[in-house]
Amino acid sequence: MITEWPGKQPAWCPGCGNFSILKTLDRVIDESGIDRSRLVLVSGIGQAAKLPHYTRANVFNGLHGRALPAATGIKLANHKLEVVITSGDGDMYGEGGNHLIHAIRRNIGVKVFVHNNQVYGLTKGQASPTSDPGFVTKIQTQGVILQALNPLALAIVEDCSFVARTFAGAPDHMRKMMAEALKHTGGFALVDILQPCVSFNTVNTHKWYRERVRPVGDSHDPLDRGRALELAFRWGEEIPIGIIYRGKRPSFESRLPALAAKTLCEQFAGA
Amino acid sequence: MDLCIRIAGEAGQGVQTTGNLLVEAFASAGLHVFATQSYMSRIRGGLNWFDVRIADRELLSGREKSDLLVALHSDALHALRGEAADGGLVLFDGEAEGDALSVPFSKTAKELTGATQAANTVAAGTVFALLGYDLDLLCDYLAVLFKKKGKEVIESNVRCARRGAELAGERAGTVKAPKSGTAPKDVHNGSEAVGLAAATAGVKFVASYPMTPSTGVFTFLAGVADTYGIVVEQAEDEIAAINMICGAAYAGVPAMTTTSGGGFALMCEGLSLAGMLELPAFIMLSQRPGPATGLPTRTGQEDLRFAIHAGHGEFPRALFAPGTPAQAYELTRRALETAHKFQTPVIFLIDQFLADLQTGTPALDATYRPIDRHVVADPAPDYVRYAVTKDGVSPRALPGSGPFVVCDSDEHTEDGHITEDLGVRVALQDKRMAKLNGLRAEAMPPEPHGPEGAGTLLVAWGSTYGPCREAVDILNAGGGSVAMAHFAQVWPLNAESARPIIERAGTKRVVVVEGNGGGQFASMLREAGVLDDCECLPKYDGMPFTGEWIAERIGR
Repeated sequence: MITEWPGKQPAWCPGCGNFSILKTLDRVIDESGIDRSRLVLVSGIGQAAKLPHYTRANVFNGLHGRALPAATGIKLANHKLEVVITSGDGDMYGEGGNHLIHAIRRNIGVKVFVHNNQVYGLTKGQASPTSDPGFVTKIQTQGVILQALNPLALAIVEDCSFVARTFAGAPDHMRKMMAEALKHTGGFALVDILQPCVSFNTVNTHKWYRERVRPVGDSHDPLDRGRALELAFRWGEEIPIGIIYRGKRPSFESRLPALAAKTLCEQFAGA
Repeated sequence: MDLCIRIAGEAGQGVQTTGNLLVEAFASAGLHVFATQSYMSRIRGGLNWFDVRIADRELLSGREKSDLLVALHSDALHALRGEAADGGLVLFDGEAEGDALSVPFSKTAKELTGATQAANTVAAGTVFALLGYDLDLLCDYLAVLFKKKGKEVIESNVRCARRGAELAGERAGTVKAPKSGTAPKDVHNGSEAVGLAAATAGVKFVASYPMTPSTGVFTFLAGVADTYGIVVEQAEDEIAAINMICGAAYAGVPAMTTTSGGGFALMCEGLSLAGMLELPAFIMLSQRPGPATGLPTRTGQEDLRFAIHAGHGEFPRALFAPGTPAQAYELTRRALETAHKFQTPVIFLIDQFLADLQTGTPALDATYRPIDRHVVADPAPDYVRYAVTKDGVSPRALPGSGPFVVCDSDEHTEDGHITEDLGVRVALQDKRMAKLNGLRAEAMPPEPHGPEGAGTLLVAWGSTYGPCREAVDILNAGGGSVAMAHFAQVWPLNAESARPIIERAGTKRVVVVEGNGGGQFASMLREAGVLDDCECLPKYDGMPFTGEWIAERIGR
């Protein structure tokens, strides 16, 4: 009988971008002064969704694609909790795509960090919604025919309250983006984190991203929706990273009269 | 004395308004009232009808045939005149046809108000006059109904009701009707009962996607959200709805969703999640006939087996199925308590018949009385969410209360973290399934009705309660020997407590009466060892059972 099962260590491949994301997130949480006992990390399924298990926080690791509705329920039940989602491109943009569309409309105050490596990792190398056309896999044997999903443009068109992109290979930049997202109080925040997959994506490698990412300059005004959309459409030779867009709608929870004075949790007990 | 009034017309003609008007006015007169609705899945046109049955004794079911048919449209007249009782009266808002009497409801309304909208008030006036009731009762209720619309609207409706009464002419008071009595004056439908019980028990979060016939509960809760402090959210789909309530339940508030068969099908993965995460998710499943879209506005009890087996993998759950609005109120609370005590999903099975039926009900308590969430207030620093215990129930703490509360849809260790340790797997699965023992021990035994030692025993579950009880009374009044047993909890079944009640009748003939074609509950009872052999009386035509319908088939 086997008595020693491996499990305490991250189940990621050596060299995976997830290590850098985990390390940076941990640092940002500590630097931001968030009380970890009031932090809930929510995830679905996939390699990125395992992240909450490798740090110290409350964890709701739910179903594939369903991190957003679960996080929405958590935030509405107790809006004093800090709710952060760690998800992958398959989890958030594929299986959970419908929830993403509506969570942005709702502008619920949760922070979403998408580890976007343009490929399915845990199921071993199929195309993801963000795989570039032509990307060849064991399923998409002739190369991907579908248009890639543009998560930033989608979010901007929906007037998302915070839209940023960063790169797992640029930890300082990533740290700034995560910190800004955590600081954001105006509702939904989407941070798309470009991340190499060392096992299944031999096209969009660390080098490929590093040669293309360009921080948006100080001259970019994230309140300028037209310019933000223009940046969101840039992909290929040059990929802008930084805070791309900020919407100005109030958060969903701030508009609910039932939550004006107390959390639902507090109200249940008549506190 | 027992009278069935059927108001019929196209959708949009005010069939429901007229029905409601009569129901409330009759109830305010202290009459026993039982009203059912039959409507099509459309907003205009088609054929809808509203049955208002009144009596001087308790009513538990509708009737097959009408004593008084009020047809507001020629299609309604042609479709339903054959369903009028012998000697029954038929009124038609059009040219006289055969034995149907022409009564110009619309024309009268137009003369008095300039529009035909108030034809239903004219019709209500005519009905009141035919039955010989005091018209002031109807006028008093019109004043309540149109209070918000102002004095002018009230006065014009009262004029319509009075002119309607005059239209009865010589026939006024000629329809034999029950005398006013002392029946409960509060009228409730099943949806209101579930909604009010949930709100008073402390449900703080509701996420649903609208779907007939579950929308009534959703709507009711939205209406009382401000009063009770509830967040009611229309989710983008049923998958979102169930996952939202799982999140809210994890964070600590009683949370529920409302749906029907197709929506529940989408919730299955989330239901399984609630089982794995040991969350007190409360799912109100209002049934309608399937498969697929089926008959959206009709009734059935086809989702019993589905609800019991829904969700992949094995996990404990409880299913309640109330028989009346009053019982729906009591059991909603009990179901929520059960979900929290055992930290597991509970499914509440009603159907279109129970959701929409209206009947006089003793006043339902509207005071806020939150249930016990069974939460550890001050968890120790070494707290773990899924501690293995003998009864399978682990101390439940909430995130934000101190130590980390970790949960995972993957198999997990006692502290909630992902594991593939197969020894832990077996220990945790055993822990979860151990809760089934507690649930089974607490399972409600069936409620008996009728004489001991009866020759025939009817077995009912859920909304079939009322029609079965009336069938028992009809059959026994005709010299039969019939009793019944009603299951208001259909899972888990406890043979030890249920079997003596089934055998109490000492009966040779057991007939399971249920609204599906496959004898679902009958097979479950046999499987659980509650009974050995039985007959089935199935129904899957989309219409509710009535006492008459059952009695006719049992008595054959």
